[in-house]
Amino acid sequence: MVDLPGPRAASARPEGNPAALSRRGLLRASLASAAVLLGGGALAGCGSAAAASDPRTVRMWDLFSGADGALLDELIGVAGPDMPGTRVERTVLEWGPPYYTKLAMASAGGRGPDVAVSHMSRLAGYAPLGLLDSWDTGLLAEFGVREQDFADAVWNRTQYRGRTYAVPLDTHPFIVFYHPDTARKAGLLTGAGDLDLDAFAGPERFVEAGRELAKASGRQGIAFGYVNDTAQGWRLFYGLYRQTGNDFDLPVGGRVTANVDAMTEVIAFMRKLVDGRVNPRRLDYPAAIAAFTNRQTGMILSGEWELGTFRAADPEVGAAPFPTVFGTPAVYADSHSFVLPRRPDPDEAHRRRTHQAVAAILKAGQVWAKAGHIPAYQPVTRTRDYARLEPQSRYAVAADHVVLDPAVWFAGAGSDFQNSMSQVLQRAVLDGLAPDRAARAMVDRINTALSQPSPA
Amino acid sequence: MTSTDVRTRPARRTVSPLPAARRARPAVQRGPNLTLGAGPLARTLALAALAVLAVIWLLPMFWAAFTALKSEQDASDPLHWIWPQGGFTLDAFRTVIERGDLPLWMLNSFFIAAAVTVVTVAVSAMAGYAFSRTLFRGRRWLFTVTMASILVPPQLLIVPWFQQMLTLDLVDTYAAVILPQTVAPAMVFILKKHFDTIPRELEEAARIDGASHARIFRSVMLPLSRPMLAAVSIFVFIGAWNNFLWPFVSTSDPALMTLPVGITAVKDAYGVQYAQTMASSVLAALPLVLVFVFFQRHIVKSVATTGLGGQ
Amino acid sequence: MSTPLASPGRPRADRTPRGLGAAVRRALPPGLLFALPFLVLFALFMLWPMVQGVWMSLTDTSLAAHEPSFIGLDNYTEAFGDADMWRAMWNTVWFTVVSTVPLVAVALAMALLVHTGLPGQWVWRLAFFAPYLLPVGVIGLLWGWLYQPDLGLYNHLLQAVGLDGYAWLSDESIALYAIVIATLWWTVGFNFLLFLAALQTVPDHLYEAAALDGAGAWRRLWHVTLPQLRRITGVITVLQILASLKVFDQVYLLTKGGPNGSTRPVVEYLYDMGFTGYRLGYASAISYVFFAFIVLASAVQFVALRRREK
Repeated sequence: MVDLPGPRAASARPEGNPAALSRRGLLRASLASAAVLLGGGALAGCGSAAAASDPRTVRMWDLFSGADGALLDELIGVAGPDMPGTRVERTVLEWGPPYYTKLAMASAGGRGPDVAVSHMSRLAGYAPLGLLDSWDTGLLAEFGVREQDFADAVWNRTQYRGRTYAVPLDTHPFIVFYHPDTARKAGLLTGAGDLDLDAFAGPERFVEAGRELAKASGRQGIAFGYVNDTAQGWRLFYGLYRQTGNDFDLPVGGRVTANVDAMTEVIAFMRKLVDGRVNPRRLDYPAAIAAFTNRQTGMILSGEWELGTFRAADPEVGAAPFPTVFGTPAVYADSHSFVLPRRPDPDEAHRRRTHQAVAAILKAGQVWAKAGHIPAYQPVTRTRDYARLEPQSRYAVAADHVVLDPAVWFAGAGSDFQNSMSQVLQRAVLDGLAPDRAARAMVDRINTALSQPSPA
Repeated sequence: MTSTDVRTRPARRTVSPLPAARRARPAVQRGPNLTLGAGPLARTLALAALAVLAVIWLLPMFWAAFTALKSEQDASDPLHWIWPQGGFTLDAFRTVIERGDLPLWMLNSFFIAAAVTVVTVAVSAMAGYAFSRTLFRGRRWLFTVTMASILVPPQLLIVPWFQQMLTLDLVDTYAAVILPQTVAPAMVFILKKHFDTIPRELEEAARIDGASHARIFRSVMLPLSRPMLAAVSIFVFIGAWNNFLWPFVSTSDPALMTLPVGITAVKDAYGVQYAQTMASSVLAALPLVLVFVFFQRHIVKSVATTGLGGQ
Repeated sequence: MSTPLASPGRPRADRTPRGLGAAVRRALPPGLLFALPFLVLFALFMLWPMVQGVWMSLTDTSLAAHEPSFIGLDNYTEAFGDADMWRAMWNTVWFTVVSTVPLVAVALAMALLVHTGLPGQWVWRLAFFAPYLLPVGVIGLLWGWLYQPDLGLYNHLLQAVGLDGYAWLSDESIALYAIVIATLWWTVGFNFLLFLAALQTVPDHLYEAAALDGAGAWRRLWHVTLPQLRRITGVITVLQILASLKVFDQVYLLTKGGPNGSTRPVVEYLYDMGFTGYRLGYASAISYVFFAFIVLASAVQFVALRRREK
């Protein structure tokens, strides 16, 4: 290692011949000299693993762990015959802001995965950044996936400047799960065996129903895991806020228009839901799942994506759309969709393979419905097989009233915005911050976010 | 604090770090009566205090291993939280190893840490020699700039580094992870101070024979510096092996991740599994802890000589 | 500083010099050639990013593909008015205060106890130093598990002795301290080893003289050992302060800066702004604000250390 730098290092001297070297070239040359030090330029030759991988492999990033993770493996397996010769290689990354941070950074670097799962609510922030490539709708149609196969409301969110940047896989609402025996004992089931949503229609009734459930379970009523969670607080809040008939008007560079009274009412209600007496107080996400699966509680407020986990613990587990507590039906939801991380010079054949794989996965959506998700590709939900799915068919109506996060660049699943909102909510719910002050704190934070220049 | 900070901790003028061996006398020889007193009460109290501290410090590691040996059900059973109802099992370890990415990340960590160590020690030793033994225009000035840069925390460079890697089209490559870590002004300083302590007479003979600097460096200075180079290498290696922030920022491709980044960023598809999480932790901790068990003396010496950045 | 050699010899021409490499060798003094590999890396990965960082902080550079435009000092103006940044700054300072004290004091106590020469040296050193060798990823997973509110070891232990458990990482009032405890466990061994090495340099004759004067164990500790360690304690404290100021890893892994930003340090804030929020330019500005702070803190400590040594 004591040998002097080789000939290539000479060009790294800034005083050498500056005119002939661009800044970039200079850097490259200097890097080369560093590489020579490492032994014959082996280092500079180290590309990413992507470069070396099998051309028949479609590398996919997703955020599905838990029951969803296992099911996606199955889904890909079922889709296999529809994408002959293609192998889909999954990487599961930590859900939340870290996932979208990594996805953005990988896309910026141009060596990202071939395809990635993204929440539809993130597209408003993502597409304008130039971090995504658009889908070739012609190619998708060739593989049997067309615009008319999706609900308009869903498809509209995939568009940016006339191009399609997302292919939706599902809609996944935030709903309620319950143990039917406990609910029956609490007198909360209708004759048909459905959850009696009327018993939950109103803040007081909801809390009262929780009390009944606590009595029936012998321990506690309704679980909700939110402590230190980056999204749960917001999911519950935003769905309920939209039930009050209000919305946020979010002009970037301006100030938010919101109904602070309605926000206060919703926060006060959330607080009652985790009072620590009828309902467990200090649950983080996994602890809430444990509380429900251990039958410590009779019900849980949760995304339908946990269906697999719950069914493993209680094969009879019931589900219902999130009850309309504040008058206007609204169910918080999002949509998992496929996006193409930016590639400076995409390989056409490989892109084609990627389109084919995604189309195949959509068409096998019946498997995905097993996880609880409502498949976005409608030819699947129109089948009789789908209608027979229990308890999925019981909350499929939730899809009629879904609300997604506001379409503004800083919002969406896994955004810092959701996290920041959830933290204010946690302070109100757990640490005694007064609901009206929490509402105003949220408005302040929204205004701060609006005042920041959009990075696009 | 990150474990790598120490690599670039600030250093200032003052005496050169004496190799620990030279100044250290075996503590046992001194005997307790010099520092503690010979009374059995004092000894017992000290021993009790040590034992309590050691239990507190060993407990987390023990608990990690203990959890890893349970089944998932037993690991998350709030009622029987000590003894597993279903007995002990190696399932968690088996699952984690079969998944295959842990060994890959270990390999990445090893390759990256080794590359960082080789480059850092080589260029720092050469630079240390240049600053200690040669004259050239601007030497003093360059040395001052190098020393001043010890103050620059690498944490604050992550944004421009990332931008630089975008410019060079190196995001998600080994080169991007390795290269920024090889700049260690503190190591240059330590090695320069070390070379300063080597008596000049030793190289005079070679010089009279007309040996070049390269020759003197290679056949006089390096052989005399083996313990110091070993200490510096161990230190740099540990720092690079455990470095988190920059590898975390510069790699998104799981196939390129290092151990500390991979085990936290990549989830398996089956949710929160405490036994498996702890099994990964135990496996990830094992290499360096094992090395420490076998080479305790060297590592202790490395920290003692290098840890103060030349103070 | 030692006097460098007055007459650096030229490399012996034992091969026929050819090509650019040889030309460089002829053109440059050998000393510079030795320093060159380091200087190239230094220029590329230290000077260049520092200059580029200044430039970026004056632009609206983002992760987006658009060309950045020059916006003057807007980023700095925004940073100085950014309550979240000041909060992160305060978290960092407070973390530094509450972590440095135990990281120095406990390390010193451990070193003093181990140095007494009690049996089991090997075990003590392993117990106290081994955690330092764990990758921080393991620290995140392990302490996340120990602190788990319902299933974690610490709450089980507290409940076993009849106390209430804590929401260690989700209670705003204690999360930072929970991270300090994890940090203490993780890195105290490093300072411990430095103290241990320093203790071994205290000359025996001081103890012997004190013993002849009839000084007991406590008096020897107060009048011989600790005064002898004064300088090294100052140095370790300074290094610890600088290290604590740069905290990021374990906070990010344990709480992501939460709950409600109560543990988010500056380094995480700039990560969040730069990468999660795509605003590389703004993050650069924050880097430089914090850098100025670190330089200032270093200068103060440097002066304090000097004064004490006099």
